[in-house]
Amino acid sequence: MVFLKLAVANLRRHGTRSLLTALGIATSVAVLFSILSFNKGFSKGLARELQRTGIHFMVVPSGCPHEVASLVLHGSVIPKFLNTSVMENIVAMKDVDFATPILVTQLPNAEKFRVDLVYGMEMSRLAAVKPYWEFDGKIPSTGNELIVGSEIASHNNLKKGDVLTYSGVSFKVSGILKKTGSQDDAFIYMPVETLQTILKKPSGATAIGVKVKTPETLAKTTDELAEIVPGIQVVTMNQVMSSISNLAASGKVLSLSIAIITILVSAVGVMNSMLMAVFERTQEIGMMRAIGASRADIFRIILKEALILTLFGGLSGIVFAVAGSDIIEKFVRRAMPYIPSGSMVDFDPVLAAASLVFVSEVGIVSGLYPSWKAAKISPIEAIKG
Amino acid sequence: MIELKGIEKTYLRGSEEVHALKSIDLKVSKGEFISIVGPSGSGKTSLLHVLGCLDRPSKGSLLIDGVAVENMPENKLVQIRRKKIGFVFQQFYLMPGLTVFDNITLPLVFSRQTIDKGKIIRAIELLGLKERIEHYPKQLSGGEMQRVAIARALVNEPEIILADEPTGNLDSENSEKIFELLKSLHKNNLTVVMVTHNNDLASRADRTLLLKDGKFIA
Repeated sequence: MVFLKLAVANLRRHGTRSLLTALGIATSVAVLFSILSFNKGFSKGLARELQRTGIHFMVVPSGCPHEVASLVLHGSVIPKFLNTSVMENIVAMKDVDFATPILVTQLPNAEKFRVDLVYGMEMSRLAAVKPYWEFDGKIPSTGNELIVGSEIASHNNLKKGDVLTYSGVSFKVSGILKKTGSQDDAFIYMPVETLQTILKKPSGATAIGVKVKTPETLAKTTDELAEIVPGIQVVTMNQVMSSISNLAASGKVLSLSIAIITILVSAVGVMNSMLMAVFERTQEIGMMRAIGASRADIFRIILKEALILTLFGGLSGIVFAVAGSDIIEKFVRRAMPYIPSGSMVDFDPVLAAASLVFVSEVGIVSGLYPSWKAAKISPIEAIKG
Repeated sequence: MIELKGIEKTYLRGSEEVHALKSIDLKVSKGEFISIVGPSGSGKTSLLHVLGCLDRPSKGSLLIDGVAVENMPENKLVQIRRKKIGFVFQQFYLMPGLTVFDNITLPLVFSRQTIDKGKIIRAIELLGLKERIEHYPKQLSGGEMQRVAIARALVNEPEIILADEPTGNLDSENSEKIFELLKSLHKNNLTVVMVTHNNDLASRADRTLLLKDGKFIA
């Protein structure tokens, strides 16, 4: 206990230096913990999004299919359309349960001076495509009704029965989508036929969402479809998610490498700080040797200081990371628009413990040289000063 | 109790070889109070360090309770320092971040002894530091700091106290108090070897040795 008190007291003697060193560790641990938490949240988010999708694969125009599919999922506009006539071939396949066109576009909202993201869907298929959705109101039953995502509704103070006008056509809000925690909250949903008319693309679709009767037939169905319908590409939802994962993977590796390099730089800071402390306290070390401390005791005291310093920094880093998770998430979402919806940075005690164990090891390693140096000090030379 | 036979100590100062101690013979008996005086650089502190097993002689033999220790491994010397020797320094060398109580317990911690709180408090009271027990060194006067250092030296119940100019940083009033404290400890059968520049205090020891150029001249 006295050793611990001594270590803490010694660190407090050079408060500013200790604090700055701990801050270096805290920053790097915050980065490491955030990246690890983000990676975990990312995987969970992907799985969640896959579970929530009521379709098994998408038919998209040929080009870069995975990107198109992920963009469709996240509401971006693709300047390339499929002809809905391909649906005839799709629904003719025996294992297909249903196929539904999806049309995504941006429409100017003249009253609010902004552009809204509009998702055209078959309203009769809504319950099948978005099985987890809940509404305040009802699903549109006419071509001049629409659903508003919860985020848009709350930002614009929209409620059931309000009227919105797009391209000169008035729409009544038939329902407000209850908060899903996904990007679905940021869209306007209208019947696909109405949107096709507005866009003057009566047979146009950004993608066709397809559900098979049994998931086991998915591979067979997609293979057959790609062969019989020219000019299309088939992307399963798993492929989309894996494509998103791959997009993010290189970023993850790079950011993890940066975090580890930052920790190594901080470790050099700890070593430097501890070495300075050892040189400044040479006489005290000599005194401790004189009153009975062995070389091992001195080694332990200095190593304990390094460990306390890094653990303090590590704990602070985790607190910073948790406190700043919203900011980190916003920043990452801006940099990586294809990531899954929902909370990405969750506090995971196992990850926190793993980060602390890692930083403790770093602390021990960076404290070894100063501790060895302190243990080697000759008590005579030390006392003489 | 401690015997030095033909002790020599040489060390290098740059390329120059310095003979700090030359053929020192000394016998310190149990319960003695010895003062060592001499000009600066005469080898007083070097002698104290050899006596306290902090430094090894370059030549000669150091016997503690009849056992030659000059070639003992470092871990054995640590044991001797823990059990038999208490050091008091001119600069006190208290740990600034620890309270009086914790400073005094340090030797017990190093020697892995159980901390008998009551015993330490009694020692603190004996040295007139009762009110200062939870104070930090910076809150103490020079005299109080040296009393804490003496309490720290005594806590392991050593056989000998080696005091290196214990009054060197104190005014005459506090010097007198510290010396009286050492005298009272000596009366309780503790062996004391004190290095000092203060001839008046030195003359009041049982035996005064004068060291010059690494040799006893009186």
